Amino acid sequence: MINGNLKASYAADERILDNGYRRGFVWGAALLAAALPLVASDYVILIACLSGIMVIAVVGVNVLTGYTGLVSLGHAGFVAIGAYGVTLLHQALTAMGVPAALQVFLALPGAMALAAAIGVLVGLPSLRVKGVYLAVATLSANFIIIFLIELDALAPWTGGKTGLTTVDPNILGWVFDTQREVYVLIAALVFATVLLVQNLFRTRIGRAFIAIRERDYSAEILGISLFEYKLLSFAISAACCGLAGALMAYFYARVLPEQFELLLSLQLVAALIVGGMGRTMGPIFGVVVITLAPELLKVVMSAVAGGSVEAAQIRAPLQEIVFGALIIGFILFEPLGLTQIVDRAMLALSRWPFARG
Amino acid sequence: MGQVLQFAINGLMSGAIYALIALGFVAIYKATRVVNFAQGYIIMMGAYFYYTFAVLLPAAPWFPDLIFAPEWLVAAKAEAAMFSPAAAWLTWLESLPRVLFGLIGAVVGASLLAMAIERVLMRPLLGQSNFSMIMITVGLISVLSGLKSVFWTGDAASVPHLAPNPAIRFELFGSPIFIFGANLVSMCIAIALFGAIVLWLRRSAAGVAMRATSEDQSTAYSMGISVPRVFATAWVLAAATGAVAGAILAARDGVSPSLGLFGFSVLAIVLMGGLDSFAGVFIAAMAIGVLEALVQWQLGGDWVEVTPYIAVLLVILIRPHGLMGQKEVERI
Amino acid sequence: MTQPLSRRGVLAGAAAALAAPAYLRAQSSEYIIGVSLPLTGPFATAGKLIAPAFTMYEKLCNDEGGIGGTPIRFVTEDSGYVAQNALANYQRLLAAEGEKVVAYYGDSTAFMKLVGPELTGAQARLMTSTSFASDLDSPYQFMSGPTYDDQFNILLQDIAQKGGKTVAFVHSNTEFGADPIAFGQARAAELGLDVVLVESTKPQGADIPTHVTKIAQANPDYCILQGYVTGVWPQLIGGARQFGLQTKFMGTFWGMEKLIADSVTREAGPFLEGYQGVMPYRYSYDTEGAPRLQQIAALAKEMLAGTPLETYIPTWGMQALASLELLTVALRRNAEAGQAMTADNLAQAFGSIQDVDLGGYYGGPISVTDNKVGTGRVYQYSTETNLFSPISDWFEV
Repeated sequence: MINGNLKASYAADERILDNGYRRGFVWGAALLAAALPLVASDYVILIACLSGIMVIAVVGVNVLTGYTGLVSLGHAGFVAIGAYGVTLLHQALTAMGVPAALQVFLALPGAMALAAAIGVLVGLPSLRVKGVYLAVATLSANFIIIFLIELDALAPWTGGKTGLTTVDPNILGWVFDTQREVYVLIAALVFATVLLVQNLFRTRIGRAFIAIRERDYSAEILGISLFEYKLLSFAISAACCGLAGALMAYFYARVLPEQFELLLSLQLVAALIVGGMGRTMGPIFGVVVITLAPELLKVVMSAVAGGSVEAAQIRAPLQEIVFGALIIGFILFEPLGLTQIVDRAMLALSRWPFARG
Repeated sequence: MGQVLQFAINGLMSGAIYALIALGFVAIYKATRVVNFAQGYIIMMGAYFYYTFAVLLPAAPWFPDLIFAPEWLVAAKAEAAMFSPAAAWLTWLESLPRVLFGLIGAVVGASLLAMAIERVLMRPLLGQSNFSMIMITVGLISVLSGLKSVFWTGDAASVPHLAPNPAIRFELFGSPIFIFGANLVSMCIAIALFGAIVLWLRRSAAGVAMRATSEDQSTAYSMGISVPRVFATAWVLAAATGAVAGAILAARDGVSPSLGLFGFSVLAIVLMGGLDSFAGVFIAAMAIGVLEALVQWQLGGDWVEVTPYIAVLLVILIRPHGLMGQKEVERI
Repeated sequence: MTQPLSRRGVLAGAAAALAAPAYLRAQSSEYIIGVSLPLTGPFATAGKLIAPAFTMYEKLCNDEGGIGGTPIRFVTEDSGYVAQNALANYQRLLAAEGEKVVAYYGDSTAFMKLVGPELTGAQARLMTSTSFASDLDSPYQFMSGPTYDDQFNILLQDIAQKGGKTVAFVHSNTEFGADPIAFGQARAAELGLDVVLVESTKPQGADIPTHVTKIAQANPDYCILQGYVTGVWPQLIGGARQFGLQTKFMGTFWGMEKLIADSVTREAGPFLEGYQGVMPYRYSYDTEGAPRLQQIAALAKEMLAGTPLETYIPTWGMQALASLELLTVALRRNAEAGQAMTADNLAQAFGSIQDVDLGGYYGGPISVTDNKVGTGRVYQYSTETNLFSPISDWFEV
């Protein structure tokens, strides 16, 4: 653990990974993530892919809720835009005759841009309302986005309730058609997103977001344009969720509107609360907990009750209760999330044995 | 014209139920400044309590028979034609003890639940940020919905109506109008309850305490008002009215977990009307009820579900604090 | 500053999760058939009534020697009627058990559509489900009855034969509800029937008075209800009867359950008298000349004693049993031919089922065409006897 950071030059001070521990941590993580597809079973890859997609989406929510202080209960809508957007863009690009090997480079940013644009639109009420009003406004937006996707009149494009068959990404001729291959793509993008967003908060924009979170009126007096930065925050946040959605479309062979309903929005927010809002590691810890909790529950229950149908039918309700209890428990007992617990543990570790706690 | 009226009447009947649910949101908000996202799930629990006490328990072999069936009633029922108004009245009379037992069970059950929630989850957060309280209620959504599935199946079972349910048919402007008797009575119950509670909050000591608390918590404290008690009252009030609304809805549409999601559309209505204005939410509830019925008529069922959400977005953009809500004054 | 804890955590958790299946893998060889059922969520009632059918069939099949001596085993999991959960169940089972999984029983139209494109290469398994969706295009997905389109076809033909003029379609706004509507409209036009109302409702907690009002204003001769399981359809019919509507209501497979009709009759009165609908199978009490159904009834008495299913297997259970019988035929044929249990071989063995008598599930020997069994007949419910009885011959579609 670090007890002090000696920085001998400005360059050293300006690095994202400003000390050896962080560098070691990130490189070690990258190595582990890279080694995973070589050793892990299909099952682990499956869980890793789903968690990776969730992490990207929760990082998006973190930008808005954790750093800018705007509550959203509708981010699943942006994930939906990303998933449908990327699929439709692939279709359009194929129709225009763009070679398959190059489509990803247009479709992926295109889907993110589309999500960002919708994000700005949904963010408009944030200029006039805050807190619960905004929560309900975003919630409404989520319902409306799903409704539009399911609408019969738009079904020729969106597939309506039956959903759309997605494409396998093809990057310069490498077709990602197995989960193990898609894992590589997801892992790379998780690293990129987390580091880029971390970097964002060392810039003028990121500092403006934090100022708005602390007190929006004071920020405005300091010369930060609320109009510009709140919408920018919505755009960046939605773009991350759009990226997660696009990866979901790449991962699954088909997307259905029911994948993007309120439940997903709540999961995203829950992961953030559990992990810790406004912290880089928050989304990662949070996603690990809310993905692993059901798996652990499954293991415990099959150890206790075996594979009986009675056990199977009580598991989902228990899972729901645990999920809710995690949100409530963290808010009541550790509002700063797991990151804070980890920080405290690290601090105790670094002082040990000279001081405790 | 007749058709418009038909749907307008249907709309007013559901609007009244929206208003009764909305009352719970406003009461909790006024007293505690918390918006209860889990209100719909408390209503759902109320409906399941009603189902338990009115249907499941009376059906259990060890439970005393709750059917009111003196000889004259049985004889009259055998004579009455099926679906005749007389049969509807007799059926209701027969199940009246069950209905009352169910209603009491629902109100008491939901109130106890609300008291537990308030005491265990909300009170420790007294004075904490609004965000935490909102998120607790969001967590509560999962907990309640999970608890429901542990104790009850996802059954869409039928439960007895609160009121006799004869079909009422008449002609208006040359087109036939159909109304269900029970819905008409439910509308009256909902409006009467709404009015009575608003009046009570305005006139009684408890109501004054609640308004004082909503103005300024610490001042209310120092004036000798027991703020925790005000909080508990508000939660119980919300749960009790919610349980009645849940029972009405369960009798109308069948008991099902979808009642939980229903709460979100009412929340949209509440924001439209203004979080702290009883009059505002009443108007909004009635308006949305009618609007939904007309949308149902012209555009079909799919559009109905998003009607309140589209409406609330439009209203928020124009009047950020709803039709009649007070603008919050923030100190910097 | 990122990732490793997630990866490490995932590894640790997954290692624990894999410990149990790894232990089982060491045991004697077996064939696994995965099952996703809606044990929670909106259609939990149905899921819980279907589940015992699998326990029974496991015993029935293994007592008869399994698949060429190898026992079968069902791994049942809950989906909550969420297609994504069912897909996760499927993917997890494949990841954990690999080649031992020979077939899968899915739980919804949405799941079948979601999983369809995933069924390629090593990820493909022969698959059936509770759904009769009309546009399942994967060669590995089959159904043990007619599609919803076909069921609408049967009902509309029946209506036309009986001289009906106008018909209304009321359906839930789920995939399963909307599935046959477009076909129904086209087919009605061909038959000269006038579709006076197409109404979409919520699958549960629908606003009954408003929907009934719309039916009343359209006042059709017949009204077909599609996409409901335990709720909404009885309330709609009850409401319409109260208004004195003469409309005849009809349902498709999922709205034809005796247990639901009975409980509605008990709770709300005998208004389902005369309710009709199409069923691909015989009801479990219709055991005359059906040796297999008698065998199952005896087994149910023994295994399900003390439950309501002791004397009656719900239609949804019958669907599961019929599908499993068909699946077993395919598995056994494939085993006899000494071929590997790949999805392609099994699909081929399945497609070869011609004129097979399953002992009473259907009207007679059945054949598989286009991955479905296209037969069914119209039944009518009586509140006197609490039974559905046939009122038409078997239709072939």
